Amino acid sequence: MKINKNAEETHIAKPVLTGGKMQSIGLSAWFGAKQALKDINLLVKANSVTAIIGPSGCGKSTLIRCFNRMHELVPGSKMAGRVLLDGKDIYGRDVDPVLIRRRVGMVFQKPNPFPTMSIYDNVAAGLKLTGARKGQNLDEIVKRSLEQATLWDEVKSDLEKSGTSISGGQQQRLCIARAIALQPEIILMDEPCSALDPIATAKIEELIVSLKRDYTVVIVTHNMQQAARVSDFTAFLYLGELVEYGDTDGVFENPKNELTEKYITGKFG
Amino acid sequence: MTRLLDVGLEQLTVMVYRSGEVAENAIGVSIRGFMNGKDATEAVHELSDILGSMTVDIENKAFELIVKYQPVASDLRIINSYMKIAYDFERYGRYAWDISFTQQKLAKIDKCAVSSDLMQKLIEKVTMMVRKSVEALKQHDAELAKTLADTEEEVDELYFAYLNQLSKMRSQSKCVMCNLLVSRYLERIADHTTYVGEAVVYIATGEKISLR
Repeated sequence: MKINKNAEETHIAKPVLTGGKMQSIGLSAWFGAKQALKDINLLVKANSVTAIIGPSGCGKSTLIRCFNRMHELVPGSKMAGRVLLDGKDIYGRDVDPVLIRRRVGMVFQKPNPFPTMSIYDNVAAGLKLTGARKGQNLDEIVKRSLEQATLWDEVKSDLEKSGTSISGGQQQRLCIARAIALQPEIILMDEPCSALDPIATAKIEELIVSLKRDYTVVIVTHNMQQAARVSDFTAFLYLGELVEYGDTDGVFENPKNELTEKYITGKFG
Repeated sequence: MTRLLDVGLEQLTVMVYRSGEVAENAIGVSIRGFMNGKDATEAVHELSDILGSMTVDIENKAFELIVKYQPVASDLRIINSYMKIAYDFERYGRYAWDISFTQQKLAKIDKCAVSSDLMQKLIEKVTMMVRKSVEALKQHDAELAKTLADTEEEVDELYFAYLNQLSKMRSQSKCVMCNLLVSRYLERIADHTTYVGEAVVYIATGEKISLR
């Protein structure tokens, strides 16, 4: 992936918002010649849930993948602009992307526990990769992570069972526990409930709201009601541009932009 | 593209507009009865009952739309506001009936004429406000709705001036009591027209304002 430093300078004069955990400044992204994001200036506030909404192909997933440097893993991808984490550019020359992905965790659309690993090992996997050994400390982290993911009570007797032996909703919470175990500062969620039934969805939503006590959460969702239920702030993307950003109540009650109004009321097309 | 919600919203809109027309009619019948010394109690009572049933139907329809379509933005503002407006129209009807009922109970129907210029003006202003509130609703006209605030102030001034006038009267006749109560009902109707106006502004602009 190419990082266009000239473009970075182009956007340096953009107003820098304050008080955010993460901030994109003049962020643009491409897949080959196709531009997926155009000059996104977005502030993600600490200990809040920010929902990213918009029609398919508008750049929602690309945006959050730029937030933890996963976008650059796609061959032919390119980005310009800056993404600040606690005020420091995560695309800086001296920044290790692996450390960024540790600080900014990701939960994907489909639950993806490691199929050959036990529930315990799924949660501990990331920690083991960073050198942790099985023992009391690891046990405590696994337990705490499963508790925070509201899964502990359901699996505490089955920690040695396969991570894929539990239900889809439990698998997704296991993936959240896996992300939490690394003690990230931000958790990115890319349509985390799209493969789940309403009961499992409700549990994940309750979990998302409780997670913001300790983490900053950014969620991509196609479900307007879910965005309205769980998020504090909502950003609406359309054709790669940030059309509207504001507190969720305001966006869903009285959107300022006509495109937002049309999208959330289903008047597109 | 017509959404499924649009069909329901259209039905709800027709119901609320119809309710506004019935409410305006109820107030017209009761005020004409009051001014002409005719007993309109029965007719107004019937209209008031119809408005009560219409409010229930509107609430049910609104709930149905919320449950089925989980509306947001302008759709949600319209549904929420229509429920409030339906209640205000029900109150129009109830005060219309109060006017007729008070007149029937307290006054000799044909011997309690509207002699005060203040009462005359009060009636004219309130009738105009009722008409304006229904019109603003039908047009979703926020600017027209906002003009209700000024008229409401004038109504308050007239009402207090009329109270002052009545308090200086030596006689405590049933006519005085009747006029006192009717002026109060008119003043309350004026208040409810501003609530309708506020809801219209909210529908049209998303702004939550007070017109009082």
